Amino acid sequence: MPGTGAHPASPIIPSSGCEDFAQSCRREQPETMPVRILLVDDHPIVRQGLRTLLEGRTGWEVIGEASDGVEALEKVESLQPDVVVLDVTMPRMNGLEACRLMQQRLNENPVEILFVTQHDSPQMMREALDAGARGYVVKSNAARDLLEAVEAVSQHRVFTALARSPQASC
Amino acid sequence: MKLRILLADDHEIVRRGLCALLQKHEGWEVCGEASDGREAVEMAKQLKPDVVIVDIGMPYLNGLDTTRQLLQHDPHFKVIVLTITDSDQVIREALDAGARGFVLKSDAARDLVSAVEALQSKRMFFTPRVNDLVLAGFLDKGHAISRNEPPSLPTLTVREREVTQLLAEGKSSKEVATLLNLSTKTVETHRSNIMRKLSLHSIRDLVVYAIKNNIIQIQMPPQLHTETPVLPH
Repeated sequence: MPGTGAHPASPIIPSSGCEDFAQSCRREQPETMPVRILLVDDHPIVRQGLRTLLEGRTGWEVIGEASDGVEALEKVESLQPDVVVLDVTMPRMNGLEACRLMQQRLNENPVEILFVTQHDSPQMMREALDAGARGYVVKSNAARDLLEAVEAVSQHRVFTALARSPQASC
Repeated sequence: MKLRILLADDHEIVRRGLCALLQKHEGWEVCGEASDGREAVEMAKQLKPDVVIVDIGMPYLNGLDTTRQLLQHDPHFKVIVLTITDSDQVIREALDAGARGFVLKSDAARDLVSAVEALQSKRMFFTPRVNDLVLAGFLDKGHAISRNEPPSLPTLTVREREVTQLLAEGKSSKEVATLLNLSTKTVETHRSNIMRKLSLHSIRDLVVYAIKNNIIQIQMPPQLHTETPVLPH
């Protein structure tokens, strides 16, 4: 029997460019609390993509970047961000270790940490929250979840969303 | 006229980063974005970009097979492969697939603009390691690029590679049939042929084969429950 349910042909929607996307982010959020964000990921291209998303939100500022856990620890101390957006797998020191150390060292004034990672794993997410993170989203859905996640953790609310879960929990 | 670039990567965050990087260059335009290899092939056929940048690890159709299909459709497509690894095997497969550029994702912020400029000037762009390997291959007088190369593997057809990837990603034969617009029976036939050609006996074997041959990519998580190192302040 011939195959049915043809793979639906996706409509070809040429990219309208990054500027349109950034502008639409700004239009959607007229009033937001200022948030100072440190980005930590070993891939500069990923950091650029995160920055493009985050700086579309009025009042949010990416104050620094780090490419591994060791550099992240240094910059958290020197820059004192409100939120750290942190990858898990990085050279020199991974994100989980960096998160634990950050929370140990900043015991009196803990920083809010949001993991943005490829690891779509409930076990990894539990590890991340146990390490002291407030949020956990997967990179494949970062464009969808990142802004809401940063807003939540900056307000000290938990935000987690795995790709396999239909709904974010916060 | 602007140089038109099609981006193919399954992570929108990465596509945003690539877009931001490329559109700073006057005279370049990102004309489309695809989130998997099959979409990339369809978009390329319609949009006819000057350059296609493909991530090696994408669902449904990986970057290497996307490259092969693009060049089968039109040998004039210029493809840059973005990869997280520059192992001998990946390099060899990218070259065999017809890629004209090869850039490590970790170095994309540094190298991608140079790669696109090279292709724009009808040159190729590869990382120094790739150049070394290609040169070693020439100097080796026709032997394999790497002396550690495994014996040559049975050749799968384009369709068989597509089916291999989808099965290795965990899809059922019925789901594969729907995606590829085939009958379930045809997919089952492909599956049998694949298992026979590769002397595999289970889906687990197929997954291992797919990982070893860069048909699917996995990223190992860091070891959990490690002791936190004590760092000097």
